[in-house]
Amino acid sequence: MPIVIEKLTYTYQSGSVNAFTAIMDVSLTIHDGEFVGLIGHTGSGKSTLIQQLNGLMQPTSGKVLVDGFDMSDKKQRAKGRALVGMVFQYPDYQLFDETVYKDISFGPKNMKLAPDEIDRRVREAMRLVGLDFDEFAEKSPFELSGGEKRRTALAGIIAMYPKYLVLDEPMAGLDPAGRRAVLAMIDDFRKQLGCAVVMVSHSMDDIARSADKVIVLRDGAIFASGTPAEIFSRSDELYEMGLEPPFAARMASELKRHGFRLPGGIYTNEALADALAAYKGGDLNV
Amino acid sequence: MLSIKNVSFTYDSGTPALSDVSLEIKDGEFVCIVGHNGSGKSTLAKLFNGLLLPSSGTVEVNGMDTADDEKTLDIRRLVGMVFQNPDNQIVTTVVREDVAFGPENLGIPTDEMIIRVDEALKAVGMESYAESAPHMLSGGQKQRIAIAGMLAMEPEILVLDEATAMLDPMGRADIIRIVRDLNREKHITVIMITQYMEEAVGVDRVIVINNGSIEMDGTPAEIFSHGDELRAIGLDVPPAVELRELLKSRGIADCGSAMTLEEISDNLCRSLLKN
Repeated sequence: MPIVIEKLTYTYQSGSVNAFTAIMDVSLTIHDGEFVGLIGHTGSGKSTLIQQLNGLMQPTSGKVLVDGFDMSDKKQRAKGRALVGMVFQYPDYQLFDETVYKDISFGPKNMKLAPDEIDRRVREAMRLVGLDFDEFAEKSPFELSGGEKRRTALAGIIAMYPKYLVLDEPMAGLDPAGRRAVLAMIDDFRKQLGCAVVMVSHSMDDIARSADKVIVLRDGAIFASGTPAEIFSRSDELYEMGLEPPFAARMASELKRHGFRLPGGIYTNEALADALAAYKGGDLNV
Repeated sequence: MLSIKNVSFTYDSGTPALSDVSLEIKDGEFVCIVGHNGSGKSTLAKLFNGLLLPSSGTVEVNGMDTADDEKTLDIRRLVGMVFQNPDNQIVTTVVREDVAFGPENLGIPTDEMIIRVDEALKAVGMESYAESAPHMLSGGQKQRIAIAGMLAMEPEILVLDEATAMLDPMGRADIIRIVRDLNREKHITVIMITQYMEEAVGVDRVIVINNGSIEMDGTPAEIFSHGDELRAIGLDVPPAVELRELLKSRGIADCGSAMTLEEISDNLCRSLLKN
């Protein structure tokens, strides 16, 4: 069963003079196990949209159905919410307990799991996010570096085995190796537990590496939706919108302007090098 | 001038963060400091204005020792810091007041302060927001206000500790452009700590920190010619350099020391397109 969003509109302070419609008539489906990258400039409605996915906000009109549970209905919302794990951009706001172990076990405990199952899940989650149990379990979350805090926040969510994992800028503030590690970890977790992932990121290079589907929001509406190749072949349009398409897509577009004949849908350096290899001998030169 | 001699720093928990670091940053330099999370680069930044004091060794700003209590205020005025989280740096409810907060504390006369605040807001392109509420601004705009707050103190050195990490690409580009202008036009020394390798491309000098020591120190062209070494310590090269490496290793094109999209494009047009 998927997450189905039907004609969703959300208006902040609806009915007041300050009313502001952040999401307008958005319909989309997130299928089981899918990796969806959500992009859009600041203020495009991304954050508002993902907060609808676990019922933190409810639609002004339209519907959000998580595996059939209507998130506008209080009783059904609790059931839907249990399927959706959210990790926010600032992990500091998400960590609160005395130790890393207690913090990660908070969610599983709330699910009323047996103590040994909780322990097993905490250990597994720490392993999946790359936090050494002996070194970190008894540390205070406030002693951790930014990257470690983010891993802890992520571990706390994945220990609940969400069916849908929603991540808001999970790589922001991490070093390049950290970004690769978190991305690999999300991929790993997705394979091991079969969850779907919805990732909001400014880094289109990161989205390009992992997503099956990319959704571009603009002024609260869906501007484009498709495979990374389809979306990033429109790199000039994305650039105009204030987004930063993957480097290779921008490079390919620039080279085409100078007369290179390159296939469409290039968004990685490897693919670009493959395409340029044809020019090596000079046989394609006119 | 910022002068760091044989500095080591160990946190109260016993974790050593820096060991025997020596470094000089000259007036007017634009320096980028890169290193993986936990490498010690943020600790180093906090030593620059005495937010942290070295466990051993000395840190001097224009000859003043940061460990000298009597110099603390002078040093804080000379060395402005902007941090990662824009929300933690806003202290008032009106942009103008926020920018005035620092100079007010220095006891600057009101007339002079009004001029400074206006100039600072202009330098970061936020003059039309002077009467706005900071919490209504975007992350990038908040960071520009934070920079303006520092500029109003007329610092000689501006330190940005991952100030672009939480911003969108437009917000990041704005900040980089602003600090570049401040460096060129007002000759403010800029020390930028960052995780984004592409931000280091246009600077004068890149310092690579690894495990609490200086691993490399050179021009961007020198530093980014060591891609494998950078990757081995959790860093990376800018995407243009990665493409350059790929094209070279596959024998497709030699783009020399190109580090930007434009440079690679020029190079490929010359070497591969023969009209």
